[in-house]
Amino acid sequence: MLSVNRISVRRAQEMTLQDISLTLAPCNTLAVVGESGAGKSTLISTILGLVPCASGQVTWQDAPVRQCRPALVMQEPRSAFNPRLSLYHSVSEPLNAVGKEMDQHRLDRLCKRLEIPRDLLWRRPTEVSIGQAQRVGILRALIGEPPLVLFDEPLSALDAVTQKHTARLIADLQSSEGFAALIVTHDLGYAAAFADDIAVLRAGRIEEVTPAQNFVERPQSDYGHQLREAAFTLGALEHVG
Amino acid sequence: MTITALGLSATRSGRTILHPTDVDIKPGERVGLVGASGSGKSTLGHELIDTLRAKGQNVAHVPQSPDEALDPLRSMAFHWKEAVQALGLFPNAARQQALFSALRIEGGNLKKRPWEWSRGMQQRFVIAMALIETPDFLVMDEPTSALDPVVAADTMDLLDRTLAGRSTALLLITHDLGLAARRVNRLLIMDAGRVVEDAPTDQFLAAPQTQAAQALCAHRNWLELPC
Amino acid sequence: MTKVIAGLLLRASVVLMGTAIITFALLWNAPGDPAFAIAQARYNSFMVSDIANQIRSEAGLDGGFWMAFQSWLGPLLVGDFGNSLVTGRAVWPDMRSAVSYTIPLAVLGLVFGVALSVPLAMLATKRPGGWLDRGAVAIASLGAAIPAYWLGLLLILLFAVHLGWLPAMGARTSAHIVLPTLTLGLGVAASLTRILRSSILEARNQPFLPALRRRGVALHNLERNHVAPHAAIPVVTVFGLELAFLLEGAVIVEVIFARPGLGSFLVSAIEARDFPKVQAVVILTAALFVTVNLLIDVIYQTLDPRIGEHDA
Repeated sequence: MLSVNRISVRRAQEMTLQDISLTLAPCNTLAVVGESGAGKSTLISTILGLVPCASGQVTWQDAPVRQCRPALVMQEPRSAFNPRLSLYHSVSEPLNAVGKEMDQHRLDRLCKRLEIPRDLLWRRPTEVSIGQAQRVGILRALIGEPPLVLFDEPLSALDAVTQKHTARLIADLQSSEGFAALIVTHDLGYAAAFADDIAVLRAGRIEEVTPAQNFVERPQSDYGHQLREAAFTLGALEHVG
Repeated sequence: MTITALGLSATRSGRTILHPTDVDIKPGERVGLVGASGSGKSTLGHELIDTLRAKGQNVAHVPQSPDEALDPLRSMAFHWKEAVQALGLFPNAARQQALFSALRIEGGNLKKRPWEWSRGMQQRFVIAMALIETPDFLVMDEPTSALDPVVAADTMDLLDRTLAGRSTALLLITHDLGLAARRVNRLLIMDAGRVVEDAPTDQFLAAPQTQAAQALCAHRNWLELPC
Repeated sequence: MTKVIAGLLLRASVVLMGTAIITFALLWNAPGDPAFAIAQARYNSFMVSDIANQIRSEAGLDGGFWMAFQSWLGPLLVGDFGNSLVTGRAVWPDMRSAVSYTIPLAVLGLVFGVALSVPLAMLATKRPGGWLDRGAVAIASLGAAIPAYWLGLLLILLFAVHLGWLPAMGARTSAHIVLPTLTLGLGVAASLTRILRSSILEARNQPFLPALRRRGVALHNLERNHVAPHAAIPVVTVFGLELAFLLEGAVIVEVIFARPGLGSFLVSAIEARDFPKVQAVVILTAALFVTVNLLIDVIYQTLDPRIGEHDA
């Protein structure tokens, strides 16, 4: 269980995050939505344990979060990999960092689930499509069996059809692997369709945390309302009937 | 005046990324050009604009992101003046004010460089520049992908209001069918460098013909909610 | 902005002070006894200890490093460069006369280099990868590899000895400055051409240029208003470095062409262990350097304040 307990984070002389509390149970998905500059990236860095908190703490099962070795899937798949290394090499990096060997069975299984042909892994990041690169990014995140996976706008570099497809793959993997997912996204449609709860981040503060279904029907915060309206305007959510 | 361009095509490093295509758009028509990434839609947009401009027609193009439209070393005022001169017009303060307030950037400091404005304001400024000469035809390439959804929705609404009642034809290029379907009355679907379907929106949504179109249709939004 | 400039000024002063201390220390620890070297230069005679000792106490060389350093630094801060240990005359007038030979040479060399490299780079980039482009890059690389003294001697051989068109030595007439300028300028042109060429190519690749074209902006306006300013930025940096090349090259070139400039002034002062003269040249050069680079940093701030920004 992820417990973010009243954290405040300072970045470059300002309090980027103030008094943030969140919880996330294993196998659950929390979507964090908010505008650019609200502090989403800082939140991710803090939960990964990369940025210290000025106050409060982030724990997983009551231990400092870094100990569970959370994984990250980044927004831009192409720049998430060393362009000079093969994808296989990049995927093995998390294992090398803790001195583990690559479990070939696990790799095969994950590749099949993520629809990645094995020979694709020997290519370089620039030699594959964006959709494929993003799926390899997910593979890299999952290879070390992390209990917690953070996703930073995992779909925004992909086109509409690929987005839906990849979102489904992530959800399927979550049920079989059992990780907790924290997804930062500005796509309310995605959050509504796949998250258990939705948290709204604005100007460094959490404005509301609501179960996804309730959020779409009746958001509580101002910004939540604006997001909902925008999602309808942009066609991510659709009135029917 | 109908917008017509025949035989638009493009190759890159020997590969055909756009097969010969004809485009025909009536005045005031709103058309969506939808396709997966790599289908050639941006290329079609570029070729279309370049061809029409070469014929001397009054057309404008709004790129996907402000980074692709503005020089970071130059002030906003410089960009505006340059755009006005490039169209062969004289500066018209009234027109500028009207466009600025229509697109809600009248409070912006024009002496600043692009990166000192928010992305939403930058994008609206680029749209304003495109509208200086009230073009007969406006091409918008992925207008929402570089922006936050609230800002993007706002911008699209503003654009609708600004274009309402004008005879400007609009081509909305996007990978997001859900976005296009709400705003256009005709859809062009692109796949692998070809336009594979061309139908009025309602007709299309009811019965997409090709496989690419069906995929787009099935995935056009995340959730459908009872009203 | 003022905070940034104040920071730059502070950095500049630290550099100057550090340079002064280091050079003084280097000279102080150079092999040989300075007092003897000075006596030799002054009297051109066989060494006698008492003379050397007399010189030693005169010059303040017996008080140790920091004493000597202080007695030099004090007057310097009010603009007094001190007196030559060899001639007893004030340093500044002799140095000023030497500088009056060097500055025109450096400036002309820079102007010639720029005048050559800008058209060459523009021609080369008209068709990247074409024969003119490749030729320009090859010549520029060659030029950068050729040392100034070799080039200078080569030019003397060709123009002064074989063809007899230009004088080889001295600084008597204005014709005497041609070959030294050519030597310096060709070196400047070599490195500037390469930098300019690649920065022009990069500037032409900026993502917003196609949109400007589509907006109807004329090609020549595009080049002038949007390509040139971007291309110029890396060149501004190189100017700071080119100054280093010019000053160092000027020393060498002056020795080869026997011009009585700062180069010769410095070389003879070193040989004679004439501390005040050497220090004066070093401080002058360092001050020039620091000022030029400070100006460049300030220019950057006005051109594109994002350069050198810290992460948010």
